[in-house]
Amino acid sequence: MIGIGEGRSGLRWLVLALPCAVLISFFAVPNVLLLSASFMRSEASVLIDEFTLDNYQDILSGALFRGAMLRTVIVGLGVGALDVLIAFPLAYFLVRTQSRWKGLLIALSLAPLLASVIVRTYGWYVILNRSGAINQTLQGLGMIDQPLALMPSTGAIIIGLAHALLPYAVLTLMTALSAISPNLELAAMTLGASRWRTFVHVVLPLSLPGLIGGFVLCFSIAISAYATPAILGGPATQTVATLIYTFMMNLLDWAVGSALAAVLIAASLLLLYLASKLGSQRTAL
Amino acid sequence: MSLARRAAGPWRALRWTVAVIYLFMFGPILITAAVSFNASNRSQFPPQGFSLRWWGNALSEEWLEPVLFSLQLAGATAALCVLLGAPLAFILTRQRFRGREVLVALTLGPLMLPALVTGVGLLQFFQYMGLRDYIGFPSLLAGHVVISLPFAVRTIAISLHGLPPNLELAAMSLGAGRARALWEIVVPLAKSGIIAGAVFAFVHSFTDVNLSIFLAAPGQIPVTVKIMGFLEFGFAPTLAAVSVITLIVPLTVVGIMQWLFGLGDFIYGDARG
Repeated sequence: MIGIGEGRSGLRWLVLALPCAVLISFFAVPNVLLLSASFMRSEASVLIDEFTLDNYQDILSGALFRGAMLRTVIVGLGVGALDVLIAFPLAYFLVRTQSRWKGLLIALSLAPLLASVIVRTYGWYVILNRSGAINQTLQGLGMIDQPLALMPSTGAIIIGLAHALLPYAVLTLMTALSAISPNLELAAMTLGASRWRTFVHVVLPLSLPGLIGGFVLCFSIAISAYATPAILGGPATQTVATLIYTFMMNLLDWAVGSALAAVLIAASLLLLYLASKLGSQRTAL
Repeated sequence: MSLARRAAGPWRALRWTVAVIYLFMFGPILITAAVSFNASNRSQFPPQGFSLRWWGNALSEEWLEPVLFSLQLAGATAALCVLLGAPLAFILTRQRFRGREVLVALTLGPLMLPALVTGVGLLQFFQYMGLRDYIGFPSLLAGHVVISLPFAVRTIAISLHGLPPNLELAAMSLGAGRARALWEIVVPLAKSGIIAGAVFAFVHSFTDVNLSIFLAAPGQIPVTVKIMGFLEFGFAPTLAAVSVITLIVPLTVVGIMQWLFGLGDFIYGDARG
């Protein structure tokens, strides 16, 4: 017997024609254009049809670019580490709890994804700025005379992004942890291991793929995030994403902007490859 | 010491840790909400006095227009994602064929590459194809559909995974044509997955910043991009109120859909997939 659409590959491709056309013209072709622009020369904000590697040479040697790339990697590492660290206890609790609020608690832990990253970052501005909540409190307590310059800074960017991306780490870790049978922990504890020892020798090794997956996911979203570094950072704390915006929209130097974007593409592909090598899986299809 | 007693202490500590984590998660969002009712004209916390002034500003035409624009954009994105995503999901879950891997890569590609990069690429695409006049709603719609499609396809695919193909086959062996089997059997059974896919696409579109900043045009600006633009000039409490509005819209949509159709399983299911 033949299922719907099976055996008739003509019909199949007819059905797929529209989605494919959309993905090719609005995803594949733009990315190819971007890559080719990164090898062109830009003169007075117009791209010249002439092959050159100058853009890449510029972004690999210029202090501004190298600083931004270094900061972006630091932000990615910081956000990934912080998120995995915070998400682990939460995910473990959500998977193992027998509370009747379990469903609600899970929904709550993912709810921040419904808020635009701007809503979530605005709160950090209110907390961290010169006359913000932290400085007001510390000054009120007489612990400092001058307000602390908490932002713009790389640290503020890391905290803001870690906060924004936490649900992704929670999701990834919950998936990994729910695959570990509670019986394994019970067995270890029945044999005399303490909760802590059980955790270090049983739970942690088994959840390693989830930890790596969560870290890589948060890292890769963090290095290409624009809004949070733009709000909590400043001219002195540019990341690759904010530089791309500056070059594309303010300086209209599309060649350099494209080369920077190509670096982000390369980084994303590399991370994807690493994640698949390290055994974390995230695809449904 | 008994097993139960050995386990109880650390578990209590874990519960406290979790409470602190929830505070970390929701603190900044609640602070933004609190600031919007602030009487002082700076974004201060704790708020000084109570005022609805900023909400008056936020609900003026200047801000309602971009909110409405974002709503239309997200609605159109959700509809197109279902129309394009449902056939993709069906064929990818039910069939094995040559070129399938390429199709999967093409479908999930926008999820793998940063939305920011897709935005930069689309800006160049519209510029070089002589479509400069279409930068604005059309370019934003194209971009939002592309970056939201993977979410819709995955969610719909999950609901199709749970449906035995025998159901369609039974309908067809009883004489229904392919189209009728699809429309009367598969679509109704996969309904909650399809609706969840539309909701994810809507939310993803409504909250996007990274792609939209490159594709907006004067008068055609999503609310998130407009907020970003104003933040350069300072953090007026009006922006806090507008931010809260951008939170209320997706919450309402998800709430209504949850109430009507029950999406609960998919929110978790999408992640597990």
